[in-house]
Amino acid sequence: MNLAHLHLVLNHFPIIGTIIGLSLFAGSLAGKNDDLRRASLIVLAAVALLALPTFFSGIGAQAAVRKDPSVPVDLIERHEGAAILALFLMEITGALALAELWRRRSWNMVAILFFSVVTLGMMARLGKTGGDIRHPEIRSEESGLSALVHHLEPSPVKFRDLMLISKWWWAFMMDLHFIGLTLLIGTVGILNLRMLGFAKPLPIAPLHRMMPWALAGFGINTVTGILAFIGMPNYYTFDVAFWLKILALLLLGLNAAAFYLTNAFNSVQRLGAGEDAPRLAKFFAAASLVLWFAVIALGRYIQSFSDTISIQ
Amino acid sequence: MRTVEESGISTWLRESESPFAFYFVLLFHTFGLALLVGANAVIDLRLLGIQKEIPIAPLKRLFGVMWLGFTINAVSGALLLVAYPTKALTNPVFYIKLALIGIAVWIMTKLSSGVFNDSSLDDVAMAARGRTLAKWSIVLWIGAISAGRLLAYTYKYLTFPC
Repeated sequence: MNLAHLHLVLNHFPIIGTIIGLSLFAGSLAGKNDDLRRASLIVLAAVALLALPTFFSGIGAQAAVRKDPSVPVDLIERHEGAAILALFLMEITGALALAELWRRRSWNMVAILFFSVVTLGMMARLGKTGGDIRHPEIRSEESGLSALVHHLEPSPVKFRDLMLISKWWWAFMMDLHFIGLTLLIGTVGILNLRMLGFAKPLPIAPLHRMMPWALAGFGINTVTGILAFIGMPNYYTFDVAFWLKILALLLLGLNAAAFYLTNAFNSVQRLGAGEDAPRLAKFFAAASLVLWFAVIALGRYIQSFSDTISIQ
Repeated sequence: MRTVEESGISTWLRESESPFAFYFVLLFHTFGLALLVGANAVIDLRLLGIQKEIPIAPLKRLFGVMWLGFTINAVSGALLLVAYPTKALTNPVFYIKLALIGIAVWIMTKLSSGVFNDSSLDDVAMAARGRTLAKWSIVLWIGAISAGRLLAYTYKYLTFPC
C-alpha cells in the first residue's frame, strides 16, 4: 500500500458519504424524524473528518502519477484546485452538522441543506476531474457550469505561494494552531479528568457544556492545519509522524462517536458532585486523553520525521 | 554561551539522531504548555462568566495540573536553552517571553491566594474578585505562547557564530 493506493481507497468515502448524509438529512426533514436527522448529521460530520486524509493523500498520489509523462499536468492541477474548494465546503458542512447536533436551530438546517448540496455538486466534479487524470476515455471539453466552477477554484500553485508569502503569516498560523490546542485540551481535558475521578465535586453537565469551546479550538486547528498542508504539502505528505497524527485524529472521532452513541454519555450526563462515572465512560475518557496527547506528540515529531516515506 | 553550546549534553540534544533527544524535550515542552495554559483557560473562562453552573471552588484542583505543567516546562525549557543557548539569548523575543510568563505565573499565584484560598467567598464573590485577573491571565498566556512560537522564526543566530 502506498499513498496513491490510499488516495484511491479513501476518495470514495467523501463522495458516497455526502450522498448518504444529504439523502438522510433531506429524508429526516420530509418525515420529521429526529433519529434520522441526528444520524444524517453524524454521517456528514464523519465524512468531513474522513475528507482530511483523502485530501492529504492526494499529494502522494500526484507524485506517483506525475512520473508518467502521458498524464497531462493541467488535469492534475485542475483536480487539486477542485479538491481544495471541495474540502473547504465539506469542512463547513461538517462544522454546521456538529453545531446542529449540539443545538437545533432552524437557520442552521437551511445552511446545512445548502452547503451539503453545493458540497455534493463539488464532490461529483472532484470524482470526474480525478477520473480524467487516468482515464482518457471519459475526458471531455469543459463547458457551461463546469467551466464556470473552474474559475472559482483556486490554483494550487498560487494558493501554495500565498501561504508561503511571509514568515510572519506562517508564524501567525502556527501561533493560532497552538492557541487552538490549549483551548481544546483545557476544556476536553477537565471533562475527561472529572470522568476519571479527578475534582469530583464538579458536576459533569456544565463541564460538558464547555464543549463548544473545544470544538472552536478544533475548528481553528483544522483550518490552520489544512492551510499549512497546502503551503508545504511535500513536507507533510512524506512524513510518518504526520500520518500517525491523522490516524490518531480519526481514532478520536471514533472514540467520540462511541462515547455519545453507547450509553456512556447518558450515564455521566446527570452525574452531580461526588458521583463516580461508570467504567465504560472512564474508558472513553482515558482513551481521549491518551489520544489527544499522542496528537500533540506526533505533531511535534513531524519536523524530525520528514522524508520518512519514499515517493513511489 | 559558547561553553554551554560546546558541552556534551548540549551537542547531544542538538545533534543526536535519537528521537529521544531534542524533539523529545520539545514534545514535553508542549505537553507542559497544554497542561499549564489549558487548565488556566478553563479557570479564566469560568471566572469570566462562561458556564455559571460550574462551581468555582472545586476548580482549585486544577492548580495542581498547572503547577505540574509549569514544572515540566521549567525543566524542558532549561534543556531547550542548553541545546540552543545562542539562538535564545541573542533574541529579544526570548526575554519578552520570560517576562510574560513571569507576570502570568504571578497572576496565577494571585488567583490562587486571593480567590481560591479565601473560603469565605461564594461563587459570585469569587468571580467578581477573579474577573480582572482572569482577563490578564488570558492576554498574558496568549502573549507567552505567541512569543514562544516567534522564537522559531525570529532568531538571528542558530548557534554561536565562528
